[in-house]
Amino acid sequence: MAVRTPHFPDLLFGSAARLRAWEGALMGLLAAQGYRELHPSLVLREAVPEGGLRFFDGDELVALRWDFTVSLAGLLARSFPEPPPRVSYAGAVFRRPVQPWEAVERFEVGCERIQSDDEDGAGADLELARLLMAIPGALGLKSAILHLGNAALVRKPLEAEGLFGELASAVVAALSRRAPHRVAEVMDGHPAAARMTAHAQALLSDLDGTKTLDALSSSPYAHLLQGEREHLQRTLQDLLPILPPNLELRMDLADVAGLDFYTGPTLRLWAPGAQQELAAGGRYDSLFPGLGRPWKAAGFCVRLSRLLDLAATRPDLFEQP
Amino acid sequence: MPSTLLIAFPKGRLGDELVPLLAQTPLALDAAALKSRVLRIPTATPGVAALLLKGADLPRYVAAGVACLGIVGSDTLDELDMDLLELADLGFGACRLSLCALAGVSLDSLRAKPHLRLATKFPKATEAWLTREGLTAELVPLSSSAELAPLLGLADAIVDLVQTGGTLKAHGLVETAVLGRSSARLVAGRGAYLSEPGRIRPLAESLIQALRLPPA
Repeated sequence: MAVRTPHFPDLLFGSAARLRAWEGALMGLLAAQGYRELHPSLVLREAVPEGGLRFFDGDELVALRWDFTVSLAGLLARSFPEPPPRVSYAGAVFRRPVQPWEAVERFEVGCERIQSDDEDGAGADLELARLLMAIPGALGLKSAILHLGNAALVRKPLEAEGLFGELASAVVAALSRRAPHRVAEVMDGHPAAARMTAHAQALLSDLDGTKTLDALSSSPYAHLLQGEREHLQRTLQDLLPILPPNLELRMDLADVAGLDFYTGPTLRLWAPGAQQELAAGGRYDSLFPGLGRPWKAAGFCVRLSRLLDLAATRPDLFEQP
Repeated sequence: MPSTLLIAFPKGRLGDELVPLLAQTPLALDAAALKSRVLRIPTATPGVAALLLKGADLPRYVAAGVACLGIVGSDTLDELDMDLLELADLGFGACRLSLCALAGVSLDSLRAKPHLRLATKFPKATEAWLTREGLTAELVPLSSSAELAPLLGLADAIVDLVQTGGTLKAHGLVETAVLGRSSARLVAGRGAYLSEPGRIRPLAESLIQALRLPPA
């Protein structure tokens, strides 16, 4: 896709200071929890997908780092026989924007929790959720909303019904629009149409706490998804007692963003009035096996560029320094 | 926090059906403002105002977060493919997206044309139908009055919305194939809906309650 409005942000004094302060605060928070920084090269020499910012260095085609998780996965798989359990990162990624207002250069801070495949992932998922709960306070956000989801709630029923390719993509697109009537439209005539539509209605029935999980019992795939429901229930039970006063916890069962990447629990951080999520992550257990390593992984990324934009347009959402 | 919530309502055919449906509801539009030329109309609910917009522009206002909710035809949504949440099929404004040609011209005769020309303002839906049918055609982009195109030789047929068929009949055209169906949809900005559900959801629910027609 052509870049219509290249946006390489120059940060003036206030924004530069804020970026530096946020990076420091977040990396300090992660270090205190045992996360050690890795810094993959800004220049990549391997094949990069569409969306990377590529150029010639002499005769050699190279690209700028476009995604920390992918860059780190390559580095870890190449350099470590055993997975370092906790890794953090900070810096810029460069990506061709999908929306015309998006920047090409984006600042991020994030962390990854990597395990061998015989370790239990549930504890790591909870650890990451707790960490993400601390992020709004470290950034000075007055209030925030943490959405908990699980990619398996959609993946598993699609696989159970043998739905792949274009039809599966159309169902996912309808769920992304939060439109169960669209699921019915795209599944019209398929033997699983009634089941998938009922499932979509269950996923989209509510956004509020335990009632949302109750709604899952009305899904035709309730039995198939029992493990995911219990995982979400446990997560709620663990997180609600330690919820900071200005953070709201919500279930978002129809979170299908990045469904081709995420394999389990997902996390998204919003601020009231923000037009884009400020941090996102989840479990992606198929990444390292694809690189020849039998490791599981989960993590999240804080999108500092979006936070800088938000601080410029909605300073009322932040504590004054 | 912005004090006034804005809802984007369509002008034109859908708007003509919408305004009477809203009458006597908490979101009824101010009658005096409707008669004027202003495009921002107060509603019966303090703190909620309506923007009157062309259907093709409306999704951009909602996607950008200017309006938190909007009502737009599914045909427009499908053509623009913007990142919006589609909270409900409201049922009203129902119409067909159809291939229409002069009376006496059959679908088979259109299929047999070595160089088929179709005039439409729905190129995406038309291309999808052509692909499904294994056909190729030259698309003639038009933004209005497509019914004239076959009459004046600009195209062999048109792909357009048909509600009652009255306009087609007046121009000697008939439907030769139905490509899809359209109706009014309630849309929300992803950011607004997910970041402020406590503000937006009650408003969305009252709109659905006021506007949704029972399924036929």
